[in-house]
Amino acid sequence: MKYLPLIWSGIWRKPGRTILIFLQVSVAFALFGVLQGMKTGVEHVVGKTRADLLLVHGNLSLMDPLPLGLFEQIQSVPGVRVVAPVELFLGTYQNLSDKIGIVAVRPDEGWLSAFTYDVPAAAAAAFAANRTGTLVRKELAAKYGWKVGDRIPLKTTAAKTDGSTDWAFDVVGTYGDDDVGGGNNVILVNFDYYDQGRLMGKGTVSHFNVSVVDPKRAAAVSDAIDRRFANSSHETRTESLRELAQSQMQSIGDLNFLIRAIVGAVLVALLFATATMMMQSIRERTSELAVLKTLGFTDRAVFLFILTESAVIFVAAAAFGLLLALLAFPLAAKFIPGLSMPLEVVALGLGCAAVVALISASVPAIQAARLNIVNALASR
Amino acid sequence: MQFLRQLFAILRLNLSGLTQRVGSSLTILVGVTCAVGVLVSMLAMGEGARQQELATVRPDRVSLSTTGSRFGQGSITRDEAAVIPGLPGVRKDAKGDPIVTLESVVIIEGRRRVTGNRIYFPLVGVTSNISELAPEIHFTAGKMFQPGLHELVANNSCTRQFTGFEIGDRRPLRGGDWTIVGHFDQGKAQQCTVLADVQTIMTAFSRNTYSRVVVMLKSAADYDLFRDAVSANPALHIEVQHEKDAIEDAFKPLNGILNFVSLFVGTIMAIGATLGAVNSLYAIVDSRRREIATLRAIGFSASAVVVSVLLESILLAVPGALLGSLVAWLLFNGLAASPFGFSFQLSVTASLAVLGVEWALAMGLMGGLLPALRAARMPISTALRAT
Repeated sequence: MKYLPLIWSGIWRKPGRTILIFLQVSVAFALFGVLQGMKTGVEHVVGKTRADLLLVHGNLSLMDPLPLGLFEQIQSVPGVRVVAPVELFLGTYQNLSDKIGIVAVRPDEGWLSAFTYDVPAAAAAAFAANRTGTLVRKELAAKYGWKVGDRIPLKTTAAKTDGSTDWAFDVVGTYGDDDVGGGNNVILVNFDYYDQGRLMGKGTVSHFNVSVVDPKRAAAVSDAIDRRFANSSHETRTESLRELAQSQMQSIGDLNFLIRAIVGAVLVALLFATATMMMQSIRERTSELAVLKTLGFTDRAVFLFILTESAVIFVAAAAFGLLLALLAFPLAAKFIPGLSMPLEVVALGLGCAAVVALISASVPAIQAARLNIVNALASR
Repeated sequence: MQFLRQLFAILRLNLSGLTQRVGSSLTILVGVTCAVGVLVSMLAMGEGARQQELATVRPDRVSLSTTGSRFGQGSITRDEAAVIPGLPGVRKDAKGDPIVTLESVVIIEGRRRVTGNRIYFPLVGVTSNISELAPEIHFTAGKMFQPGLHELVANNSCTRQFTGFEIGDRRPLRGGDWTIVGHFDQGKAQQCTVLADVQTIMTAFSRNTYSRVVVMLKSAADYDLFRDAVSANPALHIEVQHEKDAIEDAFKPLNGILNFVSLFVGTIMAIGATLGAVNSLYAIVDSRRREIATLRAIGFSASAVVVSVLLESILLAVPGALLGSLVAWLLFNGLAASPFGFSFQLSVTASLAVLGVEWALAMGLMGGLLPALRAARMPISTALRAT
């Protein structure tokens, strides 16, 4: 501890150089934080999705519609608690390039247990009572300034029986959602109102949401549903929300190699730059180090001084860089909703910083430790 | 002239001393190599995606879709489709039939051959004159599907990437099993595409509108004529686009993400490399204080010193850029990627390498500026006395 002032003055011997190294390391670790944070963050997001909420869709693809008639049969599978038909289509409000996801659901008894939505009881009751009612996701309501009682006209992808594609819904409340898929631009409308009003595809749904009695037996229930429809004209595929999120995020997994290569390149460049800087600095300080040794500091002490010096700069700079990444993260998270910076990335970053510091300082530190007092002072 | 002679003299001196300052010089080189390497590999993603998107584009082909719909998701009615072949500008085939192909797209799920991962690909129902419309299609095995039968033809990318696409394989789709009867190559296209008869698809999947109509024009110059004819017809709610524009519109979000990420990461790397260069050049200038002061004392101008330091910085940065592009090419060129379900190969091109060199020039100049000024401003008398 008592050597702290000595190390401190070593760090600030050439302020310009130290600040430049500091900035360089900060920039490198800001990038490290954002990239690694994306990767780990995605894994976290997938881990948080619900494994006990099932989605039944046609076995061809997610977009393969199923007849509404399967409802009772799914309901009768042992272990199923609530079945909820879901129809998805798209709409726009004023701004034609800003798509709104419209989810048509049936507000039957207990329907909310089959969704991740967080709907206040009063809003849920109002939604069930009003055929043309809509529940708007909080973020979307804030964006367009919609309030309860507003009537919102939307241009949609679904034609009505009169051929027009304009639908209007009455806002009856707002809701929250912590699920990752779908994004913020979502409203819920009444399935029966929509199904009666539409021109094409009457009596079909995009998929069924299913909640189960015992969350631990979700996988068994999902297999039982698919078995029931095997070899029928509408084979199904039942997956949990977590499985869906996993397959969605798999596509990003292809880029893991690239991310690793970039992080590697950043660290190599950094190692190189700082190792030469430290060496240069030791060369310039030859006589000072010799004086230290003359005063009685051991080789070991000098070795440790150099290592500590570089570790302090590195870890401080890495902490600063990771802080920048933390601040910049919401920008990167724009592409993947629900993403947040995991703290383990910060720990990993600080660890990497310490390792790079020790490696890059070890050669100059050994040089300094081996310094011969007589020669060093004579070369002055 | 005097200036140039001085400049070359100093530069020779600088370069002959390079070996004594290996560490600092290598720092600049390695820093720029890494920054440009990363920038070029990231941009190679966008470049590869673009090449793949536009792999089969022809200037005389136009894409028709419902006004305001997304690419390939239109709903063109049979009545509308019946009008299109009679419009002016449409090319006729040898038998005198207009070359118009009706498409209906269904998205189907496949499994990756290597990893077993799920991936989606389009099953495109087309009219059987597709080979007139797309001469780039060449069958490599089997035959074309027959209208009315549950037959599929797949391009060779499907067999490379997924399971279940060998000739004779049956895929359970709507209306029973569909058999793969042929394989084809489609220019440079890497995206798995499966074709089948459009009417059979529409019956099986209970569709009654087409997703898209593709028309071959007599020549690219007939575009305006054809488009005006479509917009003049009140019965058609259809938007006409050059094939290239339609595809670019469709891929705008993907390209936007790829470019944003590439430039974001590239810029950060470049800032890091520039800071490293500044530091190294300061060290180089410091270690040569006496040398520079001596030069100034015997009459070399300050500006020659400034320019020589800048040139040295650039001379170290540019080989770094070339090296970085080379590494990117060796590591990533041809690497298959499929972010967001779209398959393409990374492509490192000469124009990306040129861009890398431009960035390197900028890094070298900005990195060299401050150290160069310091070198020129050094008071001669004190510098000469320095150790």
